[in-house]
Amino acid sequence: MHAIEFDELSKVFQGKKKVTVNALNSLSLQVAQGEVFGFLGPNGAGKSTSIKILLGLIGSTAGTARIMGVDVTEKSARSDVGFLPENPSFYDFLTGEEYLRFVGKSFNMSAADISAGSSDVLKRLDLWEARKRPIRGYSKGMVQRLGLAQTLIHDPSVYVLDEPMSGLDPIGRALVKDIIRELKERGKTVFFSTHITADVEAVCDRVGVINKGVLLAVDTVSGVLERGVEGYTVRVLKPDGASEERVVAKADLQEFIEKSMAQRWAIERVEPKRKDMEAFFLEMVSPKQTSG
Amino acid sequence: MLNTVAVNLRAIFRDRVFHGIVVVALLFLLIPSVSSLSMRQVTELSITLALSLLSLILLLLSISLGATSLWKDIERRYTYSVLSLPLSRSSYLVGKFVAVALFLLLATLVLGAVACCMIWLASGIYPADRPIVWMNLVLCIAADLLKYVMLVAYAFLFSTVSTSFFLPIFGTISVFLAGNASQQAYDYVHSPLAKTLSPVVKQAASFFYYLLPNFSAFNLRINAIYGIPLSMKAVVLPVMYFCIYTTLLVVLATVIFTRREMK
Ligand SMILES: Nc1ncnc2c1ncn2[C@@H]1O[C@H](COP(=O)(O)OP(=O)(O)O)[C@@H](O)[C@H]1O
Ligand SMILES: [Mg+2]
Repeated sequence: MHAIEFDELSKVFQGKKKVTVNALNSLSLQVAQGEVFGFLGPNGAGKSTSIKILLGLIGSTAGTARIMGVDVTEKSARSDVGFLPENPSFYDFLTGEEYLRFVGKSFNMSAADISAGSSDVLKRLDLWEARKRPIRGYSKGMVQRLGLAQTLIHDPSVYVLDEPMSGLDPIGRALVKDIIRELKERGKTVFFSTHITADVEAVCDRVGVINKGVLLAVDTVSGVLERGVEGYTVRVLKPDGASEERVVAKADLQEFIEKSMAQRWAIERVEPKRKDMEAFFLEMVSPKQTSG
Repeated sequence: MLNTVAVNLRAIFRDRVFHGIVVVALLFLLIPSVSSLSMRQVTELSITLALSLLSLILLLLSISLGATSLWKDIERRYTYSVLSLPLSRSSYLVGKFVAVALFLLLATLVLGAVACCMIWLASGIYPADRPIVWMNLVLCIAADLLKYVMLVAYAFLFSTVSTSFFLPIFGTISVFLAGNASQQAYDYVHSPLAKTLSPVVKQAASFFYYLLPNFSAFNLRINAIYGIPLSMKAVVLPVMYFCIYTTLLVVLATVIFTRREMK
């Protein structure tokens, strides 16, 4: 059973003046249990639309989606999910602690589990000092961190995070990445959307690239990085003591090494020079610009 | 659902509206002195004033809370964080409705008690010709409460189809006005005076009479003010009417809200 499954999912928004937007076009995707999946795409690609369908906030025009095998039109599909909305907003008349209690109760947690879990996650997300203050007075970053806290408190096995790093300072971003890695170690499934390639590279097992409602590619992160090897940076030490760095194309490496040996150059270092996630992403999203 | 009710009650208590009514409720304290100015029928006047003030406060509350409760959640994007919890749309909406209704009940209990104290004080100044029938007074206030809970159900129904607060607020006010006038309009249309009206108009009037709420059924004020005995029927019928009508409204609101897209 997959943790998350999209099956031929399409969504058409009926805008004003009979304008229709094909926000999602026959999206099919499976995320395995225990996997960290990055949903990568530029603004307006359809990431939030897919996620809203997954959480039952909007319906699909065609196709289905399932969480842990349960169709997302049933409320029980959400019973083992922690969800962080994009630019989240929480009942701001409550304090951080009260909000976590509200979420805990919604997941039928016991009072003891709620108070233990709540102090754990409040401390983990650096909200302990602010826990008794109304959310109304929180900064954007604090609200975002509370958003993560409320996905963690009931310890679900599936996490759906819509742009979890947005609105955070570098420390906050690092914290989120740490938390995602920790969840992975504990065998949890994490599905998160982002438009930042470095985030995907840092924490994901697999990545799906989406643009204009179409899923363009799905691959393992290591696969993308390996296939992306374009050449090597070779550092050689010449007999006269001078060292030099040369860029060698992938196909020419063997020849270069033989030539160096013949000239009695010592090879100090060979580093693969890769096209990174960013290049992969840009190539996917705007193929015309990079293929030429 | 209890969780939803609790969180929404908390929202109301921490809202500015709540502090507003506390201030308005202070007007109750003026009732004995104002009524004694009339020198005659002091008790009757104090009952009228107390019931009117209570009714006005309940009206303001039911419109402001009923029409904005759902709209605020959507406007402030709380719906994304709350409706993505393992909570059905119906328990979310019904929970919200119950919270507003409970708050109205609470306000009625507190303000009703204050009103009764003031009436008692006023009647002490200038004893009435007819003794106050406290039971009638209580029933009158209870019937008023039912009327406003029904109005809240209308406000919720409007909120589920609307994206702004315009329809909920003005729709609810219209229903309130129409509901108070519907019995009179019906009586007029079916009186000899309306002979000249075309049958189509009469049919339409009857249609709206049955569609719109009839709030005059909940008006027991005459009985409360003059201590006129209440028949069993005058109490049971409004209660049944309230139960059926409100249930229908809430069910309809839930059906609409379940299909609504949280874009
Ligand atoms: N409620 C809506 N009505 C009309 N169009 C919408 C609505 N929500 C999103 N869209 C459109 O659907 C597309 C995908 O949006 P979205 O899923 O929010 O993108 P992303 O999250 O990847 O930035 C965009 O073109 C957006 O303009
Ligand atoms: Mg988005």
